[in-house]
Parts: sequence; structure tokens; C-alpha cells
Amino acid sequence: MDLFFYWGKREKTYHQLIEDINNQKTLEKYIKKIDAYEILKDIIVSLISGEKIILLDSDFTKEEMNNLGISLQEINQEIKLKKDKINSFEELLEQINKKKEGWEITLYTSGTTGRPKKVRHNLQSLTRGVKVSEKYKNNIWAFAYNPTHFAGLQVFFQAFYNKNPLIYVFDMDRKLIEETLNRFQVTHISATPTFYRSIIPYIKQQIPTVERLTMGGEKYDETLENILIKFFPNAEIRNVYASTEAGSLFSSKGETFKISERMKDKIKVNEDNELLIHKSLLGESETLTLDGEWYRTGDLVEKIDDEHFKFVSRKTEMINVGGYKVNPHEVENEIKKVEGVIDVLVKARNNRITGSILTAEVEIMEGINKKEKEKEIIKVLEKNLQNWKIPRIITFIDNIELTRTGKKVRK
Amino acid sequence: MEIENKLNEIINIILEKKEKEKLEKLDQNLSLRNDLEMDSLDLAELTVRIEDEFGVDVFEEGIVDTVKEIIEKIEKR
Repeated sequence: MDLFFYWGKREKTYHQLIEDINNQKTLEKYIKKIDAYEILKDIIVSLISGEKIILLDSDFTKEEMNNLGISLQEINQEIKLKKDKINSFEELLEQINKKKEGWEITLYTSGTTGRPKKVRHNLQSLTRGVKVSEKYKNNIWAFAYNPTHFAGLQVFFQAFYNKNPLIYVFDMDRKLIEETLNRFQVTHISATPTFYRSIIPYIKQQIPTVERLTMGGEKYDETLENILIKFFPNAEIRNVYASTEAGSLFSSKGETFKISERMKDKIKVNEDNELLIHKSLLGESETLTLDGEWYRTGDLVEKIDDEHFKFVSRKTEMINVGGYKVNPHEVENEIKKVEGVIDVLVKARNNRITGSILTAEVEIMEGINKKEKEKEIIKVLEKNLQNWKIPRIITFIDNIELTRTGKKVRK
Repeated sequence: MEIENKLNEIINIILEKKEKEKLEKLDQNLSLRNDLEMDSLDLAELTVRIEDEFGVDVFEEGIVDTVKEIIEKIEKR
């Protein structure tokens, strides 16, 4: 199969991709496009011509660009390309290899304070987790991330270097996903837990072609894993920990991550149980603040022994209810166990009595009586959680709001 | 009167969760803590629900305890 990319009912083969690359005469320095194929093509063009580029979300507003310190004039900078004609996929890879020194891509990541951070990566740091071999050559990928974000680039490079097809499902109508996965015989899906939860209500039958499901970007969700196994009976499920700052770092089966020999001296856990990453693993950035040689991830972990740990939550996500710190993920997991609940988002609501109380936005299956379901949720929570962990206000909504990265918006 | 009815509804939502008898009519002299036995989480919920309904943070300036005090705060907004 020569398919490179399927998106919005269109498709391009690797052959057509190379033709499009050969026909391209200019390149925008700031890539701010809606079309996922155009974004990926521009990245490849920048690679073979050794041009540095900056990747922006297509929906950044003027205000947001302003906050990033990017002027609108800068955005329109065009580079006239000087590149050799490419005749085959192998030549494409050779050309990338020739030009990789000096190439770099700049990404913006959502900071803990809401203000985006700017990180530059070279090809080596971007492709650290990429594996190429015969074993991977028949993989068919569902692409379920925003292509301008780190996780999306990881999936792209993994597929591209093995000349695999990429089926773009990130913004696809959820009703079409089952049919699309079957039609292209997708073998690999990498997505956030939220994405998986959003498609589950629309999957009617088992999808046996899928061999590997990868979850990342959010806290591991055991309930979700158990549901996914039912719909994807032949899939192995892996959790990855990656960040825009450092790239792909750990992968696990279940919630326990193993620290490999290679990583041993490069990560540590401080006295607050926060995971720290050595600066040698990071992309280059002036906007990241380091604590000596270490970068504070904001992720709280629990060390199991010297080689194993699991993620507890984001440092900033803990909600303080009258002096008790609540991990919203814990509450969400309990609510998700209630029958008919598709997704849930637990948030803090400030007040002058207890500092915060919890509120829950719940998405349920159609046709369920909301009043009854609310009572049922509270009853289940009363049984399973301490009093202060129970959301005091439950609202039912049609869709949990997602950020650009496909993660839930907690604030 | 409309404020009273709405407030009555809000208080009843909380009482129902506490498995206490709902109020048919709101008595302005009722104490939230003593008569209605609201704990701090109940009060926190109450203040958030009142804020959503009326746009007033009733606990902004200090301790409020009776139904009457809440109604006065809402009317002053």
C-alpha cells in the first residue's frame, strides 16, 4: 500500500506527496494552517531544505499571537526554496538525513499558568522514540492528535519513517470513526484517553484489526482501559508519558512506569514527589525555568521502588476543599463507573466558605433522565468517596470542552 | 417574592441531599447553621448556587446566618 494520508474524505499516496513536494516553490516560516496534510507536507519540505520553521495552532487568535510575541507581519514571511528534485521515498529520507543538522522546529506548549511556552526541537529530539524496522512496515495508523502538537508529531514521524499510512481521525465526526477504522484496517491508534472516551459510545462492534492502542497526555484511566479491551480485543494497550518540553520519555503497560537504564540518571523525584527531568533531555527553550540542571514537570508521582513509579496527578490540578486536597481524577474515575456516563470533568469552584468546592460536568448517553442520574451519581459517590470529594454541583452537558491538545479544560 | 421562592428552591436542593425534610415556605428567621444544620460544605454549595442565580456573593462581607440576611444581600445587589 502506498497511502500516505487520509483526511476529510481525501487521500494522498506517498507518490503524490513527493510530487507535491517537488512542485512546492516557497515555504512559510510560520506554519499556521488548518489542513493537516498541508502542515505535514510543509514539515517535510522544511526538512529536505534544512529550513527552520515555527508551528502554530491554526486557531490562535491575534490576542494569543500577541501574547506569544509574534507580530502579524512576521507570520507572512515566505522562504524561496532551493531544493533538488526527489524521485523516490528513499531519496526523500536521504535528503532529510543530509539536511538535518541545523534544522529545527519551534512549538508552543500550554504552560501551567496558561501562558504558552516556546520549545525548539531538532530532528534527533523529535524522533527519539521512533522505531524503524521490518516489523513496523505494515502498520496503519489512526492519527488522533492535533498535528501541530508534540504528540501528533511523534505519531507522524513513527508512521512516516516506516512509510505507513496515516488516517486522520482527530477532528472526524465520531459517527464515522468505526467505519473508517474498519475500512483502512487500522492497526495502531495513539490518542488521549478523552479521545477514546469520545468515540466509545459510537462503536457498535469489535474492531479486531487494531493491534496497539496508545494512551497519553492525560492520567491513566483503568476503567477506560477495561472498556477499550472489549472493543479492541486484539489490542495491546500502552500508556506513554511525553511532554512538549522533553519528548517521549516513558511507556508502560498499566499505570506503573519503569525507569530504563538509559533514563536512570536523567530523572529524579524531589521531596514534594514531583518528577524532575534533567535538562539534557529537553528541547531548547528560553521560556522554561530550570531548577539548577533540572526541569520541574509539575507531575506528582508515587515511587514504588528505585525503578518504578506511577503518576498521581498534576501538581496544579489538586483542588483544595476546606483544607483537604482532592485529586479531581479520582472523583472523575468514580463518576465514570456510573452506568450511562460517557465522560466527566471535575473542576474547582471558588467560594468563601471552603476555598473551593468541586463541580462536575457530566456527559451521559442520550435518553437518560438527568435528575435520576444525578441522584444515582451522588449515591454512588457517597458510597465510594469521602464527603469532601463529592462534587456539590453536577451539571449535564453535551460535550466536555477540550483544549487544542485534546485534553480537558479544567479551568 | 420571587427571590424568596428561588432561594427556597436552592435551600431545598441542599436539604434533599442531606435527607432532611424540604421547606414548604421559607421562614426568614431560620438560621442556616442551627435550624437547617448546614455544615461548611452545605454553605459553600449554597453560596455558589446563590451566586449563579443572583450574581451575588452573599458571604463576601462576613458571616451570614439567617435567611433574612441572605435576602437582604440579594436585594442590595
